[in-house]
Amino acid sequence: MSTIFAARQFSTSAVSNHIMKLTRLRVVDNSTIGKQAMAEGKPPRCIHVYNKKGIGTIGDKIMVAIKGEKVKAIIVGCVKEQKPNIPRFDSNNIVLIDDNGTPLGTRINVPIPIVLRTILKEKTFSKGADYTKLLAIASNYV
Amino acid sequence: MSKIMRSTIFDVPSSLRITFGGPMVFLSRTAHNVRAPRIKYPLWYLQRERAKDDQQLTGDNRAFVKEAVHDKFGMPAVIHGISTYDVRSPLSEDSVECTNVEWNPKLQRTGLIARKLGNYPMWLNNGKSVLTTLLQVIDNHVIKYIPPDEFNPPRKPYSCPNHKKQLGCLLVGAESADPQYFTKQYCGLFYREGMMPKKYLGRFMVSPEAALQPGTPLLASHFRPGDFIDVRGKTIDRGFQGVMKRHGFHGMPATHGVTKSHRRGGNVGHGGEKGRIFPGTKMPGHMGNRYRLHKGAEILRINHKYNVIWIKGIASPGETNSIVYLYDTILPLRKHKSPPPFPTSKVLDNDQLIDSYKEDVYKFTEQTITYEEDK
Amino acid sequence: MLLRNVNFHRFQCGFAPGNIPNFCTVLEHALLINIFLTVLYVSRSYSNSPLPDVQQLSSDESVSGKQVKPERKSVVPSNSRFIYPEFLPDPKIEWRNSLREKLERMDMIQRRKHIDIPEFYVGSIMAVSSSNQHAPNKATRFVGICIQRLGCGLRANFTLRNVIKHVGTEMKYQLYDPTIQKIEVLRLEKRLDDELLYLRDAPNEYSTFDENMEVEYLPEGAPVPVNPEMVKLKPRPWRARWERKDMKGLADLGLEDRFYERAKELATPWEKYDLMKQYRKTIPEEEQKEIFAEVYSELHEVEVMRKKLKRKKVFIKPTKNV
Repeated sequence: MSTIFAARQFSTSAVSNHIMKLTRLRVVDNSTIGKQAMAEGKPPRCIHVYNKKGIGTIGDKIMVAIKGEKVKAIIVGCVKEQKPNIPRFDSNNIVLIDDNGTPLGTRINVPIPIVLRTILKEKTFSKGADYTKLLAIASNYV
Repeated sequence: MSKIMRSTIFDVPSSLRITFGGPMVFLSRTAHNVRAPRIKYPLWYLQRERAKDDQQLTGDNRAFVKEAVHDKFGMPAVIHGISTYDVRSPLSEDSVECTNVEWNPKLQRTGLIARKLGNYPMWLNNGKSVLTTLLQVIDNHVIKYIPPDEFNPPRKPYSCPNHKKQLGCLLVGAESADPQYFTKQYCGLFYREGMMPKKYLGRFMVSPEAALQPGTPLLASHFRPGDFIDVRGKTIDRGFQGVMKRHGFHGMPATHGVTKSHRRGGNVGHGGEKGRIFPGTKMPGHMGNRYRLHKGAEILRINHKYNVIWIKGIASPGETNSIVYLYDTILPLRKHKSPPPFPTSKVLDNDQLIDSYKEDVYKFTEQTITYEEDK
Repeated sequence: MLLRNVNFHRFQCGFAPGNIPNFCTVLEHALLINIFLTVLYVSRSYSNSPLPDVQQLSSDESVSGKQVKPERKSVVPSNSRFIYPEFLPDPKIEWRNSLREKLERMDMIQRRKHIDIPEFYVGSIMAVSSSNQHAPNKATRFVGICIQRLGCGLRANFTLRNVIKHVGTEMKYQLYDPTIQKIEVLRLEKRLDDELLYLRDAPNEYSTFDENMEVEYLPEGAPVPVNPEMVKLKPRPWRARWERKDMKGLADLGLEDRFYERAKELATPWEKYDLMKQYRKTIPEEEQKEIFAEVYSELHEVEVMRKKLKRKKVFIKPTKNV
């Protein structure tokens, strides 16, 4: 009996849908690298979450491995359960950015949570990266 | 057995429920290294309940006793949403002792006895929702005041046995009850003040300036919305628990060769000179059923009709329907900035004032919240 | 009355071991409880499967609305608990307190005077407009199908789901949130299940709804229609093992036999005969009646006021055009 339990390699607890290291994500902007990666069926992987918990939520900056490159990105939608008035999506959406916070694409094709406005403004400092450019290329807010 | 008892408490007629009270008996299984378990009787302790063998009483006699009680103390009435008796103490006429002392931050006021009603969410004016706990002040009356010189508790503070006697003791009772169910001695506590026996008693240390006449009713308006209070109560009794539940240990892995110790605490001692278990080591044991203090809870709303206080947060100890004690907070930065009702609030005849809110709390009678850009 | 009897016996039973050494009496009491409970259970057994008897109830109501009016006994419609489920408190006995519940209900009614919270069910298509702190000076509107409704009292909440730009989007709203400006029911209907969480594993077309959808009105007094749509799920992996959940609105799942066999092993069909479990899960009918008798007059007043306002609006419109 104990050998059966010891051999079991999978978790039986409920799925928490966290965005952590090695999570597969979906690029939702129209940057060439993102489009290619999604079209090839090789979605990017999260390789680092830039916060202290190591679990990303809406508005967090992460580093992803995409087509053999390291690119930074911002999470713009999560699968995991959210608080009231914050949307939950069916996929983990990210938008690729460069070091200055400028998005690589020119358009975001999916709805984006309105909370991002406040979160990204709070994260922007005068001499640091400017994340609010991402808000300008969004087409639809939820 | 105890399970059955607990599930039935709610169905017992209220007059019988008092049988569950009694002296504070500490369980014999508590950790002996912390403090020896013992029965601690309060200063005024007298045997409270008497054996209920009214088998001898005929129906007529029972009716007569009931009538006598009502004649002496007043008829049963619902006051502030609590079924109690319409007691008119002869002393309650001049309810607040008019000593004309100005409040200053060094004076200590009395506290209140309340029942925890449960919790539900409220919203702030910025649209944020906060969970609140409801505490109902249950029919509180001042029973007795013991001046500092006469106050001689059986247990002195550990820290300073020769402490200066500066504070007096104010005995406050909550929830009037039929005297038939109590012993003669216990009823004698209340006799001189003309009060009915109270189901719950509480002791509050007050400055002599804040002393109150026996018979003074204490209301929820003793506090104001925006004040901070401390809530003292008995935590939920969880019985004998392991270290994971009791102290939040992580336990051990589910696999990797671990057998039979997935929820164990692991090593408790050292080697060599320290080869013993240090006092206070966290181990399995009885969890809960102890008095704990929730400090610095903010009052968001007060209902004067039912004497209910809404405090922010759900951390106050105890189950729903348990008894808690409310004090002015001892946290130095959250003490009263402006003079509170001193020594206590007066009984208002104004029926119009039902609810008073802290200014940033959303009232349900208000319009829907909208946001405007501020620049 | 019945409830009181039960309580009385429970009380006696609870104290019996201390007072009466004879254990048989205790057993007897237990038996008595059972009998009383069965009677109780029968008396409210119609409430256990909500879908079929709603029609029954509403037909009852229509009858009472026309003929039985002079009786003045059943002013509160018997389907109140389906229309206003959040007015019933949590049945967990450890959390109950009558005064707290009363204060909560008073607050809920105050809120309902400012905003129309309509009758809706899981499966209805709704639109919620709310003011948002992050987008000042305007209201955001979200249209979707209600897939879940939870909580009681001021905690009551519901979840809407829609597919926007090919991405499934869900939004949870608290029913009594003061930032909500308007709740509309675009299509009032029910589905076969009490929770439609399986729509997350279904193809997008099952939960796609037009944002500019117009309100579909039902004829007055008509029962709430049940949409018998069967959902065909995408192939596994899923978010839950739906074959074990006994969902009525799911089409053939197309699984191997071993899945169904395992589901059969884990099924607990006897639970529906567990009277105590049913009793603990529900608020007794007598208490429900008390609660709605207390609340209904005010709720009804609010509704009547709203209807009057609606009619006024209808009359004003043509004059404006002229």
